[in-house]
Amino acid sequence: MPQTAAPVTDIAARGYAHPEVLVSTQWVADHLQDPTVRLLESNEDVLLYETGHIPGAAKIDWVADLNDPLFRDYIDRARFEKLLRAKGINKDSTIVFYGDKNNWWATYAFWVFRLFGVDNLRIMDGGRLRWAEEGRPLETAAPRHPEGNITVRERDDSRIRAFRDQVLTHVQRHKPLVDVRSPEEYRGERLHMPEYPNEGALRGGHIPGARSIPWGRAVDPDTHTFRSADELRTIYQHENGLPADEDVIAYCRIGERSSHTWFTLTYLLGFDRVKNYDGSWTEWGNQVRAPIEKP
Amino acid sequence: MGQPGAGADREAMMDMDRETRIAWLVDHARRPRHAGPLAGADVSVPGGNPGCGDLVTLHLKADPAADRVAAVTFEGTGCILSQAAASILAERVNKQQPTFAEVLDFSYEEMMDLVGRDVADSRPRCATLALGTLKAAVKAAETNRKLKAAGHTEAGIAELRRAIAAAVEGTGLVIGEGAESAARGA
Repeated sequence: MPQTAAPVTDIAARGYAHPEVLVSTQWVADHLQDPTVRLLESNEDVLLYETGHIPGAAKIDWVADLNDPLFRDYIDRARFEKLLRAKGINKDSTIVFYGDKNNWWATYAFWVFRLFGVDNLRIMDGGRLRWAEEGRPLETAAPRHPEGNITVRERDDSRIRAFRDQVLTHVQRHKPLVDVRSPEEYRGERLHMPEYPNEGALRGGHIPGARSIPWGRAVDPDTHTFRSADELRTIYQHENGLPADEDVIAYCRIGERSSHTWFTLTYLLGFDRVKNYDGSWTEWGNQVRAPIEKP
Repeated sequence: MGQPGAGADREAMMDMDRETRIAWLVDHARRPRHAGPLAGADVSVPGGNPGCGDLVTLHLKADPAADRVAAVTFEGTGCILSQAAASILAERVNKQQPTFAEVLDFSYEEMMDLVGRDVADSRPRCATLALGTLKAAVKAAETNRKLKAAGHTEAGIAELRRAIAAAVEGTGLVIGEGAESAARGA
């Protein structure tokens, strides 16, 4: 392994509340032949997987695989179970997600899998970029896993997913919200390109009372891995006063970056009640009479 | 531009199997055609996708004697699909030198057909970013011509554009240079 990648502290030494959900690139490299481990790559770049992926990894695409093609929601239990079985996932599988953009979509997939109650989920710390920077192998051959036997529960949207009416109530009760978009989006300085009005929102700004904590602050820019628990506590709790034992809602534009923050707060800092509002700004910024704060 | 029968190449592209199509897209992204600045460009328009960081700046030179595109080049960064689509579109435009109207008539649906529905359907914004930016460039070139015909100077036109940008400030629309920081700041 080339030594060009910046060194990282061991995951176990970083003080996380649930360190078992993170695995290192070395751990993944050591388990490439382990039949109980299934690697799933989930990217923003829809063709990146096809240019090369970790040996044996299957692809999960948030649009093509996880979203209902007709209305804005996730697929149902039957389709989700069929999807997982097709990826070779068994009841005893350990599922490791990784992807581009510092694991945006990996954590998003993790969050969707949790909606269906799937256990034994992991995130590969540092994501695809770290694996590549370490000079580890990528291959283009499609994985050949036998059909899996996993069974999944009905989707439970009550614990970790927030809907717009709940967000409104949350705002009215002055409970904590985290806006993880860029500061420019938070301030309402930009929404979308004129040619893509359906991808944006009619109003700019943020949900009243939301703290601006861009998702990327949780990641070390040199190593692409998650910051230590002490550093994360400074960002989320000391600087922004987020309470670990209260209801917290995170949002972004469509719910992908906020799933990264949901993961950080829930598993790395041990927050008890964090929800991801996947409707996010594309829903909120288009709602008639939804309260907005700006800047 | 891009109408059925406009080229056998289009038929061939649409017949590609998925593997071949992906190889074609990846090749365009890795060896982009018509990439770089364009000497003597009439307009340069940046387009970006806030949120995912794709950026395409389209340079366009118009035919001085007709409402027609003479040449385009592009510079960009971002995902494989957005950059491949820009390269494929630039190749097509330089080959066909379409009229302004043909560019504006070329639909986003046709662009998605061109790069392949099996890929484009899950990332329509990436697949159509270059076309949206090209349309914006054509509109800018067309408007500049009309303003010049009405007696406006280059400096006057630049001032008008600044005023338009100021008027939409705060509405969230990302126009011109703002598109670059919008895409980069994701």
